[in-house]
Amino acid sequence: MVEGPQEFIMVLEKNNPRFTGASQYVLDDELAKIVNVSMALEMPLLLKGEPGTGKTMLAHAIAQSLQMPLIVLNVKSSMKLIEALYQYDTLTRLNDSRFGDSKRNVSDIEAYIKMGKIGQAFTADKKTVLLIDEIDKADTDFQDDMLDVLDQMQFDIIEIDKTIKAKHRPVIVITSNAKKDLSDPFLGRCNFHHIAFPDPDMMRLIVNVHFPKLDDELMKVCITTFYRLRELRGIEKKPATRELINWIRALKSDPDFKPKTLYQGRVPFLGVLFKKSADLQQATQQIIKSRG
Amino acid sequence: MFVNFFYTLRERGIPVTPTSFLRLQKAMHKGLVHSLDDFYTVARSVLVKSERYFDTYDQIFAHHFKNASLEDPTAVELNEVARAMLEEWLQNPKELADLLGIDKDQLKKMTPDELIQYFLDRLKEQTEAHHGGNKWIGTGGTSPTGHSGYHPGGMRVGGVSRNHSAIKVALERRYRDYSQEGPLTQIQMGEAMKRLRRMAPTGPKDIVNVDKTIYETMRNAGEIEIIFDRRLTDRLKVVLLIDNGGWSMEPYIDVVQTLFHYASSQFKDLKIFFFHNTIYNRVWADAQRYYKPQDVDDFIRWDPETRIIIVGDANMAPYELMYPNGSIYLEERQTGPSIERLRFIAKTFRHCAWLNPMTVHEWYYSRTVETIRQVFPMFELTLDGLEKAVTHLTTSGK
Repeated sequence: MVEGPQEFIMVLEKNNPRFTGASQYVLDDELAKIVNVSMALEMPLLLKGEPGTGKTMLAHAIAQSLQMPLIVLNVKSSMKLIEALYQYDTLTRLNDSRFGDSKRNVSDIEAYIKMGKIGQAFTADKKTVLLIDEIDKADTDFQDDMLDVLDQMQFDIIEIDKTIKAKHRPVIVITSNAKKDLSDPFLGRCNFHHIAFPDPDMMRLIVNVHFPKLDDELMKVCITTFYRLRELRGIEKKPATRELINWIRALKSDPDFKPKTLYQGRVPFLGVLFKKSADLQQATQQIIKSRG
Repeated sequence: MFVNFFYTLRERGIPVTPTSFLRLQKAMHKGLVHSLDDFYTVARSVLVKSERYFDTYDQIFAHHFKNASLEDPTAVELNEVARAMLEEWLQNPKELADLLGIDKDQLKKMTPDELIQYFLDRLKEQTEAHHGGNKWIGTGGTSPTGHSGYHPGGMRVGGVSRNHSAIKVALERRYRDYSQEGPLTQIQMGEAMKRLRRMAPTGPKDIVNVDKTIYETMRNAGEIEIIFDRRLTDRLKVVLLIDNGGWSMEPYIDVVQTLFHYASSQFKDLKIFFFHNTIYNRVWADAQRYYKPQDVDDFIRWDPETRIIIVGDANMAPYELMYPNGSIYLEERQTGPSIERLRFIAKTFRHCAWLNPMTVHEWYYSRTVETIRQVFPMFELTLDGLEKAVTHLTTSGK
């Protein structure tokens, strides 16, 4: 994904890192403000928005721009909070105790405790960015309990009766795809932002970041076509930023392609934009119709 | 302080908590807010926790910080005062304390909560004292908080930047689309599906029952005994009955059908049938209600644990529901009252739910809806309703 030399745009005030954007991510002022406020208030930032609006990318961009390590917790529906904190590897211990061919001390339980993602963020030697991705997949109990841990910045390891305290409070970014709201106590402890789908001007900037040498003409026609395709009726999964980038890449790699084609209303590589076969069919039909 | 702004948000139905309001004050303390622009963004991210309310927020913000759409000009003055009080308090507590004729230390002792209440009370006092409630703040009185009144400390009014672009942004109402609360739209479908997925008994993919294994191993004095559990996910059967006749259901049919076609990937055993208005002897597996009839009597042979979901507006002429020959189709004459059929279904399957695309308020205008509600638990066909229905379907009868 990362192309060319990475340039960090960073303003470092005295011990007060501020986030202004990273080389592969186009940040609008509003979002930058919100990220900075969340860091200053030491609150998790909850991001919602359509798929493809760059929720996850934001955390990567923050980590890159502030030069902090990024720790990603991908939430799964069956996940229990404890897995995100630490794991007690009982199986290895059982194995060691039965066959005894490892160097670990079987009577020392701590040797069998492995940190989960949140645990890693707490015990890291420097400040980290902790991305909790797709929180809506987990059930409400998980969410509330997790927020408790993040609030107090500590958790207990029951097996060895030890409390893990965060050495550095991580910058926490939480993403959610849910249209439905998360629970009230959860929302109460987060700052919230909803990333709207970028408008054409913003999109131009985003494309520019990925294809710095793209012809203006091509850029214009691609973006116009793209937004027109998003307007098509009956599409279940609308093409998003990711699809646009891939589509432009496909167009560029095709030696026979000319911007004129798009002006004529023909759209090559539709399959890159529409991932579901029903959508593809719908889109094809409507494009043919609109060409008359 | 923006107390008034805060209360307006609450009045208009945005769930803003006092805690988050105080957090906003904290953000301002920390010098994170330099302009109205900043305030717009920061206040929204701290106070408003769902994009559904963004549109309302925009409207209130625009209304509050711009007098263009304001009918009562004095509300602006109040804001100026509130803003000024805030500024003063943040920058120079002593000055404000003097102004209010109260000891600074006393003011300091107050928690921010009390302080807010105090300011608000003072503002209310002003209202009553000066213009009989007609205007909030006296403009020529001697009130310390009045606009051009007597204030020894020289209170500055409106120290916040005059940059109005935040208002412009707010007036654009970019979030209008997100404020829809109505019935399910195509976009919301994916989310609704997630709710339905819950109906399939989940549980660890791992089919070893760890708890029992440990227990049995202990009983075996440490000799490992592994206990396996059956997978639960495949058991659930779902039958969907859709009312696809009549103009009233027309707008919803696409949504409903797509919704449950998705469901087929989740539920191994999903049957979809169609009916018109209400159920008589038959339902049909084809949407034309012609080629593939299914006798309702056969339902009794199905697994009683099957989840029955009926989607329909339940709105029809009462005789269609109550009279023995109520069907509006000639070929369906000997039926018995449809309501008996519905009772039969409700008795055969203990997990039933009726989803109604009409909003709850509309239900009360229809007698048949009331009657059917006595037979089936009825839910709105919205995200909330769907969730309730799914909860009901997973728990009822236990």
